Amino acid sequence: MIVRLNTDIAAGVLGLVFGALLWFPRADIGRLSIIFPRAILLVLTLISIALIVKGFIKPSGRQIEISGSPRRLVTVIIGFFLWWGLVEVLGFLLTTLLAFFALTWYLARVETVVTWQRMLTWTPVILVLVGVFYLTFKEVLNVRLPSGLFF
Amino acid sequence: MTFTYKTLAMSVTAVAAMGLAGLAQAEYPEEDITYIIPFDPGGESDVTARFQEPILEEVLGVSVNVTHRPGGGGAVAWSEFQNSAEPDGYEIIGVNIPHIIGQPIQRNDAGYETDNWRIVTFFHSTPNALIVSDDSPYDTLEDLVEDAKENPEAITLGGSGTYSANHLDMLRFEKEAGIDLTYIPFSGTGPLKGALEGGHVAGIFNYTMLGTEMADSVKVLAVAAEERVKALPDAPTFKEQGYDIVGGAYRGVAVPKGTPEDVVATLEDAFAEANRQITEKQEPLGFVMEYITGDEIDEVMAMLVEAYGPILEEAE
Amino acid sequence: MEMLLEALTALLTFESILTVLVGVSAGLFIGAMPGLTATMALAMLLPFTFSMEALQGLIALGAVYMGSIYGGAFTAILINTPGTPSSIATTFDGYPMARQGRAYEALAAATIASVVGGIVGVIFLLILAPPLARLAVAFGPSEMFWVAMLGLTLVASLSSDSLLKGLLGGCIGILLSTIGVSPVGGESRFTFGYPPLQGGIELIVALIGLFVIPELLTMAAEGRGALPGGSELRKKEVSIAKIAKHIFSKPANLIRSCLIGQVIAIIPGAGGNVTSLVAYNEARRFSKDPKSFGKGNVDGVVASESSNNVMVAGSMVPLLTLGIPGAPPDAIILGVLLMHGLRPGLDLFTQSGVLTNGFILSMGLAALMLLPVGLLGGRLIHRVVIRTPYYFLVPSIAMVTILGTFALRNSMLDVGIMLILGTAGYFLRLIGIQAAPIVLGLILGGIAEQGYVQTLMAAVVDPIPWLRLVSNPLSMVLAGLVVLGAATALVPMWLARKGLLDKVEEDSGGSS
Repeated sequence: MIVRLNTDIAAGVLGLVFGALLWFPRADIGRLSIIFPRAILLVLTLISIALIVKGFIKPSGRQIEISGSPRRLVTVIIGFFLWWGLVEVLGFLLTTLLAFFALTWYLARVETVVTWQRMLTWTPVILVLVGVFYLTFKEVLNVRLPSGLFF
Repeated sequence: MTFTYKTLAMSVTAVAAMGLAGLAQAEYPEEDITYIIPFDPGGESDVTARFQEPILEEVLGVSVNVTHRPGGGGAVAWSEFQNSAEPDGYEIIGVNIPHIIGQPIQRNDAGYETDNWRIVTFFHSTPNALIVSDDSPYDTLEDLVEDAKENPEAITLGGSGTYSANHLDMLRFEKEAGIDLTYIPFSGTGPLKGALEGGHVAGIFNYTMLGTEMADSVKVLAVAAEERVKALPDAPTFKEQGYDIVGGAYRGVAVPKGTPEDVVATLEDAFAEANRQITEKQEPLGFVMEYITGDEIDEVMAMLVEAYGPILEEAE
Repeated sequence: MEMLLEALTALLTFESILTVLVGVSAGLFIGAMPGLTATMALAMLLPFTFSMEALQGLIALGAVYMGSIYGGAFTAILINTPGTPSSIATTFDGYPMARQGRAYEALAAATIASVVGGIVGVIFLLILAPPLARLAVAFGPSEMFWVAMLGLTLVASLSSDSLLKGLLGGCIGILLSTIGVSPVGGESRFTFGYPPLQGGIELIVALIGLFVIPELLTMAAEGRGALPGGSELRKKEVSIAKIAKHIFSKPANLIRSCLIGQVIAIIPGAGGNVTSLVAYNEARRFSKDPKSFGKGNVDGVVASESSNNVMVAGSMVPLLTLGIPGAPPDAIILGVLLMHGLRPGLDLFTQSGVLTNGFILSMGLAALMLLPVGLLGGRLIHRVVIRTPYYFLVPSIAMVTILGTFALRNSMLDVGIMLILGTAGYFLRLIGIQAAPIVLGLILGGIAEQGYVQTLMAAVVDPIPWLRLVSNPLSMVLAGLVVLGAATALVPMWLARKGLLDKVEEDSGGSS
């Protein structure tokens, strides 16, 4: 998918927005701690403006290309965030197993339809993979993974 | 007494209640205990916890898991603890003074309150110490004070953190001696060694531990303790030299408010025992073992809040 | 001298060799996992070392450290994700090589370079410890500021496409580093009233977010893996001997990278994260074919991997002689030393000489062990990654990164930050803002700020405070290097833009 976008202007605008986001809380911050960020914010603003100007005069790129399917992209992004959000609710093990199955199914669909049999052959692999990592982290490395409602 | 269902119900409930109460009190601890360290591994809090771990496990009879939750100078772990830990004694967190006093005053989003938990004990303290390099022109504290009077703000003292124990006691010292020094904050004890060795600061206001670690190449001008620290027998205290400054960092553990008293008592004993057994490892490193529990804690806290509070509020 | 021999005999016991072997393998595995770093590996090993005697414990730590710094190259080459921050520069040429089907060549080159680097580091430590240590303490606040600036000039050379966008990325990185508690002043900045943000943005979190996640998203969107597999691969298999010959035929590259690695290793705080980048940059500057860097020139991989392994033993110089940790893993080793009652300093080399020398030599042994472990392991991992279908690879890598990011500080917030940065990183890449400058800004922002503010605070009595920044001889040298570095990076670019206009059009159309 090709989006017509002047990359220089986009970058410059992004820079200004980011700068603005950090500019406003500065009232609360004391003298010592604001010296440095303020200086960098200034530089950021200058660069952003320069980029926007350059975008008009001599743009380096007039389009961006999103390779592959944008729909898959967005779905996977949402999938990752869901995975993250549900860990606290359902516990790491369960959430990861679910997420793994879901993602694998979704991504394999690209080539061919995924049959139940195929998913069945995957099950032991996924269980072992997730299980090994979960146990290693929990028992060997003593990391307290969130346990949510179940385990 | 006539037998009615009501009586039966009441008796059963009574027995059950006794049984449950018995269970609850019976054997704390029954499960593993998580000991949260709000700092990175390898630091003083961590090393101490590692020393304590085997003894705690022996005394308490369960596994004690040390985990780390660094961030914000401890604030991240402390705010999370106060918000989400259960008052059942299975989660304990290391606490450090004066961090827990200073941070909530100074920052409007520290996320926790100085007294919103039950501090079990302070098990050791590291008194502050004014340290200069061996080839420094100052041999005693008075030398430094005189030089400071002639050249205000010219003497640079490095320390760990801003408005930390190091910084606060340096400010107190300035007030008491009527001099003006310049404090340079560093992000921890590690960089201070290099700064002193490389001559980038005139001296450092840090803890006694650095004094023992660098024993061969530094002079300890003063220690902020009641009496001379065993590991540094030649270092006079501030008090001896006429400045009433006693302070430093205290380390301890806390549990959430509302934790049953007997749980707290069990933990107190366990940590006291741990203290006794690790004394010979910690004292040579410059730690001062403490056994501050119960009401003494409130006293110490009150004293420190009184000493540091005004300075912190001023800085607001 | 006899102490060295004594140390050697203490080392060559079955127990010690086994420890080194296991340590290197474990370290390799951990370093290869994105999200798990050398520091974490050591922190996790720490409790186990308590039950070992001092020498064994130190040997184990040294071996794991060496292995994990090397291990970072694996994922850097195979999935464009530095397994540890010290391998960031390995991705620049390692990954393109993998995409061309030359992954094994890259892995072998990385292995050999790492072995050489590791051994050189040990030699430096044995021979030059005292003078190097003195150099280490010469780096005070003003010097650190210039070191950070020097690092930031790398941004200029790394962003060959668009200098402005590279600098923008760098600024964003620096600003991200200011989130949290300020190092000077102790106040919290940019937390938007949300207490957990006081912890700021951890480097590894940003690293994984900005490098791995966009890669995973690309794989998902495109519906296929990034590396060529099967038959294409067989055509390009190169023998190890040939690779070795190529590397040693360019000794200048190796020597220079190792030197850079050692010098930067002793600078407190900068540590290994920056060594590979500087070495890479210099390798490119001095190469006869700079344009080929970034497109699969094995010399880039060699420079990056040799310099970061020098760091393992090299950063121990200030640690063992003065007790000053040069890089985060050193803090843990210092903790172990103190716990066993060993104090850094001259005593360590004289009274506990056997122990110390044994430890140092064990790192040399670990470096040697990288060769068999790495080549075998490399082949194995390479096969696995190539053969795994992308629909398993994406969730697997995602799971490991989530685990690793969480394990860092036991924080789900970090995982969230990683995902947010990753998603943003994917889109930023599209408009031409690369990950490397941002990460560089993140690494160096804190160092620059501390150096700057500390210097100015100390200069409060000076008539012109800013002059303090160049008052020491070392500061002046460093400041000069910064100017020189910036000039030599900018001038050619500027000339290219003016003098060779068609070249510009060719390079910049549609680049991202």
